[in-house]
Amino acid sequence: MDELELLKKDWNRSETSYTNYSEAEIYPMIKKKSSSIVKTLFYISIAEMVFWILINVVPYYLSSNYRKEIEELSHHTWYILLTVSGYFIIAGFIWFLYKSYTTISVTDSAKKLMESILRTRKIVKYYVIYNLFLAFISIPLSFYLMLQEDQQLATEVSNMNSGQMAILIALITAVTGLFIFVFWIFYRILYGILLKRLNRNYQELKKLED
Amino acid sequence: MNKALEHSFVEQLKENQNIIHKVCRLYTNNKDAHNDLFQEITIQLWKAYPKFRGDSKFSTWMYRVGLNTAITLYRKNKRRIQTSEFDALQFKIKAEEYDDTEEEQLKLMYSAIHQLNDIEKALVFLYLEDKDYKEISATLGISEVNARVKMNRVKNKLRTILNP
Repeated sequence: MDELELLKKDWNRSETSYTNYSEAEIYPMIKKKSSSIVKTLFYISIAEMVFWILINVVPYYLSSNYRKEIEELSHHTWYILLTVSGYFIIAGFIWFLYKSYTTISVTDSAKKLMESILRTRKIVKYYVIYNLFLAFISIPLSFYLMLQEDQQLATEVSNMNSGQMAILIALITAVTGLFIFVFWIFYRILYGILLKRLNRNYQELKKLED
Repeated sequence: MNKALEHSFVEQLKENQNIIHKVCRLYTNNKDAHNDLFQEITIQLWKAYPKFRGDSKFSTWMYRVGLNTAITLYRKNKRRIQTSEFDALQFKIKAEEYDDTEEEQLKLMYSAIHQLNDIEKALVFLYLEDKDYKEISATLGISEVNARVKMNRVKNKLRTILNP
């Protein structure tokens, strides 16, 4: 007999050998919490939203200097415009993320299910990139603003020779770069671990269609 | 959620639980992992149940959710010790029903299946469950032609593992 036929015969025969759960045993199972990848992804995306919002908000409450500066800035039109559009962008991300979560359905085909999960992850990724981009701009920008405000610092900087200036610029670039690099690596590892298997399986399915 | 819904779900799940056990059998290799995956598939089924319209059979619907959970959603429980060796107890083959060669062949067969990747396992599972290519293609989201091609490849792969 062909091995596969033999296997099929055994497969059907072994039906009786599984643990047969009673209704009383199944009830508690449906009350338990899922530990699926979608659930984890959901928690991570919420954590990310909250984290970046806090990064923007916390300094305002912690430092009275910063608060004063913000209050001064808040009279400028460009500042109001930036803040408002910032909130619009965050609201937009939240909306897209929500929409994307609602399209994840376990009753879709395997390929479609994987695609909707990967799309959701992509939205979170764009959100992170957006924030890193803001960080990339705001670190040099805040240094520039500091120069404008702080006369003493401004004089010191203007008295620098070209070597010192180069070091200062290099330092600012390094700090910005390091900040972004650390975050980037962190995300790579986080999502790398979480989605490794899903990505592998998705590639396998996709390979079939090429 | 309401009691009647809960009751009808649990009742149907109990009747069809072998489908979940069989998915777990292919995707896990020890009893703890088996139970863990069984639990997760049950949760996913229950979460999706309110949307189950009954336009397909409960069992057909279970195949899809079960495989999707195993292939895509399930995260191996890190607290459990991962063993790559498969648990012989799980695959206890009733010796009296087969001769020695057949028994040996079956053992090799199951360990060969465990060497396949997740998608290949899904194909073997659907083959063992006698699903037609239309359903296989709909379950995995690939075309019927590709399902057929891949199925033949997997079968050949199994044969080569067994008869090197």
